[in-house]
Amino acid sequence: MTITECFAALVKKGSPAQVRIIWNIRIPRVLAAIIAGAGLSISGLIMQTDLNNPMASPSTLGVSNAAVFGANLSIIAFAGGFLDTGNHLSSYTVGANPYATSLMAFLFSTVSILLILGLCRLRAFQPGVVVLAGIAIGSVWTAATTILQFYATDVGLSAAVIWTFGDLGRATYRTDCIMAAVVLIGLLFFLFMSWQFNALLSGDAAAKSIGVAVDRLRFTSMLLASVITAVCVSFLGIIGFVGIICPHVTKKLLGQDHRVSVSASALSGSILLLLADTLSRSLGNGSALPVGAITSLLGAPFFLAIIFNRKGEHS
Amino acid sequence: MLEIQDLSFRYSHRSPLVLDHIDLQLRDGEIGILLGKNGSGKTTLFKNILGIQKPLSGSVRFDGEDLLNMNRRERARRIAYVPQSIHFGALSVFDTILMGRISYFGYKAGREDETAVEAILRDMKLENFAARNVEELSGGERQKIAIARALVQEPRLLIFDEPTGNLDIANEQLILEEAHRVSREKGIAILTSLHDLNQALTLGDRFFFMKDGQIRHTGGRESVTESVIQETFDAEVRIVEIEGNKIILNGGQKT
Repeated sequence: MTITECFAALVKKGSPAQVRIIWNIRIPRVLAAIIAGAGLSISGLIMQTDLNNPMASPSTLGVSNAAVFGANLSIIAFAGGFLDTGNHLSSYTVGANPYATSLMAFLFSTVSILLILGLCRLRAFQPGVVVLAGIAIGSVWTAATTILQFYATDVGLSAAVIWTFGDLGRATYRTDCIMAAVVLIGLLFFLFMSWQFNALLSGDAAAKSIGVAVDRLRFTSMLLASVITAVCVSFLGIIGFVGIICPHVTKKLLGQDHRVSVSASALSGSILLLLADTLSRSLGNGSALPVGAITSLLGAPFFLAIIFNRKGEHS
Repeated sequence: MLEIQDLSFRYSHRSPLVLDHIDLQLRDGEIGILLGKNGSGKTTLFKNILGIQKPLSGSVRFDGEDLLNMNRRERARRIAYVPQSIHFGALSVFDTILMGRISYFGYKAGREDETAVEAILRDMKLENFAARNVEELSGGERQKIAIARALVQEPRLLIFDEPTGNLDIANEQLILEEAHRVSREKGIAILTSLHDLNQALTLGDRFFFMKDGQIRHTGGRESVTESVIQETFDAEVRIVEIEGNKIILNGGQKT
C-alpha cells in the first residue's frame, strides 16, 4: 500500500481490503506498540527507583520467566490458544480459546509477583533481597520451562519458542483496551507519587524521615509495575530492553525528577517500540522480525552513545 | 522537650541489645551530643527516635507527644534528620529542598511550600544555588542543602548523624556554625553525634557518653573529664585548659 492509499483507508475511502488492513491489523498493532512501549518503560523506571539499581527491569520480579512458563504450559501441555500446534484436533473442534495462552502467561506472572512480594515483605522489601529473590524465582520458572520443552513435540516446541519472541501482531482492540487500562492506572499512580519517588532517591532513611511511607510505596509500585509488565508480556510475548534503555536515556537527558521522567519514559518507550515494530515489518521481507530483537538493536547503540558521551563530559 | 525513657532495641530475637535501656532528655534550643566509639549504638538510637527502626521497649516523647505511635507525616513535621552520608537524585537544589515539605503537601507542592523554600534559601545564603543540579555540588555544599531540606520541615528537633564526617576543616566549621545558629536563633533542639571531641566541646550544651548500647554518663561541659572519656573510648586522653577553654589531647601529646 502507498502512503496515499493508507491515508485513504484511514478515512475509510480506500478499497474494503485496504480499510480492513489499516483498521483491523495496523491500527491495533500501532496502538499496542504505543501502549506496551509506554508501560514497559515506566515499569522499568519505577523498578530502578524502587530498587535503587540501574540494572533493574520490568521483569525483575521474574514476571517474564513466569509468563514464558505459563505460555509454554498452555501451548505444549494443553495445546490451547492461537498457537495451537494442531496435535490435538479436539481443541479445534470445540473452538480453542484464543486467550488461553495469554491467560496462562498472566496467571503464572501473577503467581510469581505475589510469591516474591510475599517473601520480600518478611524483609521489609529491602532492594537487595527483592533483586535476589527475583533472580532465584525467575530461574525456577526457567528450569520448569526447560523441562517442559524437553517433553514437547517439534511443532509444539517451535510454537512455544515463537511465542517468546514477542509479536505486536497478536494485538487486537480488546487486548489494547486491557493493556491501556492497566498502563493508564500505573501511569497516573506513578505521576501522582512522583515526589515520593524523588524522595526515594535520597535513600530509605532520609525518605522515611521526611514523611514517606517507603515500604508501602515500594510494595504498591512494584506490584503495579509488575502487573503492567505481566499484561503486556502475556498478550505480546517478551519485548526486551525497552524497560531498561528508555528510562536510562530519559534520565540521562532530562534528569531524575520523576515529575518529568515518568511521562518522558512513557513517551520514549512508545517511540522506540513503534520504530522497532515499523523496522521489524520493513526488514522482514513479508514477515515481521521479532520486535524484541529490533528494540535492542535499535536502542543499545543509542544507549551506549549517551552513556559514553556523558562520561566524557565529567572526565 | 525530647524525653526518651527506658528505650531498648535489638535487630532480632537472637541478637544482643543494641540499645540497652536508654534514658535521655534534651530541652528546646539545646545542643545534645552523643559521644561513643563506632558501633556503640548512636545511629541506631537516631533511627529509633525517627521511627525508622522499631524499638523493643521504652518510649520516645516530644513535648509530651508519643513519637513512636505518631503518623509518619506528623512526626516529620516535628523531627528532621540529616543522615551520615547524603546522596540526592539529580535534581535542582530548589526541588531537593522542596522535597522536605512532603509531609505538608503530600503529592503536589503549593505556593506556601515554595515560599518556605525561598525563605530557607535566603536565610542560609543559598539563593545562587537554587537552579543548580545538586549532584554537581561539593560535599560541604551538599551537606548545607541537606540541612536546608531538614529545616524546611520546620522541625522542633534536628538530628544530625556525624555532620562533619567527610568534610574538610573549612566546611566543618561552616556546618557547625550553621548548627549553632539554628539552635540559638530558632530554638530548635539538636541531637548530634560527633567524633571530634574538641568540636563536641565547642558546640555542645549536654553530652551523652554511649558505650555498648548504654548511656553511661550524661551532663554539661563539666561532665567531660579524662576518666569519662577514657572509659567511653578505651583511649588515653589529657584535658588541658587554655584561656578557660577545655582542650582534649591524645594521651601521648604534650602541651
